[in-house]
Amino acid sequence: MRDNDRLEDIVRKDLNVRASDRTYDRMRDIVLNAHGPSRETESATAMSIARRKIMRNPIVKFAVAAAVVAAALVGATLFRNSGSGVVWAEVAQKVQASRGVIFRTIRHDTPEPYDSGCDFRMDHYTSTQSRLDKYKGGEIIGTIYSDCNTKTVILVDHGHKSYVKMTPEKMVPDSFRMDPNSMVQRFLSCKHKELGQKTIDGVLCEGIETADPAFYGGDKLPQSLMARVWVSVETGYPVQIEGEYVNDNGQRRFTFVQDQFRWDAELDGTLFEPNIPAGYIDISP
Amino acid sequence: MFEIEDELLKWRFKRGSREALARIYEKYVHLLLSVAMGLLNDPHEAEDVVQDVFVSFAKGATGFALRGSLKAYLATCVVNRVRDRARSERARRHHTNGCTAMPLEAEGPDRSLVYGERCERLSRALAELPYEQREVVVLKVKDGMKLKDIAKLQGVSVSTVHGRYRYGMEKLRALLNGEI
Repeated sequence: MRDNDRLEDIVRKDLNVRASDRTYDRMRDIVLNAHGPSRETESATAMSIARRKIMRNPIVKFAVAAAVVAAALVGATLFRNSGSGVVWAEVAQKVQASRGVIFRTIRHDTPEPYDSGCDFRMDHYTSTQSRLDKYKGGEIIGTIYSDCNTKTVILVDHGHKSYVKMTPEKMVPDSFRMDPNSMVQRFLSCKHKELGQKTIDGVLCEGIETADPAFYGGDKLPQSLMARVWVSVETGYPVQIEGEYVNDNGQRRFTFVQDQFRWDAELDGTLFEPNIPAGYIDISP
Repeated sequence: MFEIEDELLKWRFKRGSREALARIYEKYVHLLLSVAMGLLNDPHEAEDVVQDVFVSFAKGATGFALRGSLKAYLATCVVNRVRDRARSERARRHHTNGCTAMPLEAEGPDRSLVYGERCERLSRALAELPYEQREVVVLKVKDGMKLKDIAKLQGVSVSTVHGRYRYGMEKLRALLNGEI
């Protein structure tokens, strides 16, 4: 077997043929001419499905390499220091390496309010689990637990003293869409433009903006969207993520702002254990 | 191993991205040339085969649907193209004459493919193997294809492919003994 390994090494290394520069260029021209100009005109639905398939794969989900590569493909200024100190490839890597993240989400749906009129959510994410606490008047009125390992999502409604256990088919993509880690990767893998610098809560940030529908990362793409991420020049971590999705010719609008980030937080596993008080009714379908 | 970059390339290529195609070409052209050379022991044929494979690939972007490995898919295209060529008059004549192509070093400075003396020797030795064994050895070792996928490609059982691999490696070792 060792002999085979050695021979395999030899074959792998020695069977090495390269095109000369001229041949490489000539073949490349022929191949690209056979293809014609870029025609990125595939339907939004198909784009969505492709993106969803990519994002659903657990290996790809949080892979910084995806963003790095895709950003390179769309010509993003990924590896360039844009003058301020933010190198986007490093941002993607830092976010990817973050053990856990806690942040606040404020969202508004027009015409109907989302989240039963909660003031804001505090979200806790690791690579496989999340916990979203909905706050109203300083109290938690509901919690959503998602666990990719057990493929369960549990919604606890303290107002109605009930809970629902659901399948990830419906819930995980949604929570995944709002995961800042995933969003950062999507920013970099979608077409985007640089916004320059801005100070947020005394922190000097640099931002990028995308209007690429693929950023949505879900089944039903919005008619239009805009999303921005602002990253601290000093730490390289996102400080604020904001977005707006528009449907029905502007009649339906969803906006969100994520801020108060605590990156690389060490989150206790017990945080993600569903806490369902005694007497709560199971109203799972 | 799951190739993250390839998944994105496949996605963008299907959407019609010329840049994705350019990257796929850049990423795999040399590997495919090596595979083709290992199968054909003929640089001109290898170059033609790889160019044909990429041109067909480029033309088929619209209907492109691939769930598996891009690398394995392209290598399979090379294999199929090589088999087609083997059926052609030119390949048969080449085979029956028993001659191998002149090494590129003999073609002067304007050669189209570049490879070393060791590659030339190895390629010559591979050409001595029965074609099915050569295919298994090249695909498994150079392309990293799994035996079960090669079995599917060759339309035989995994144990048959395993046997071809074993015999192929034994013969290759004997042929190369003392040379490399």
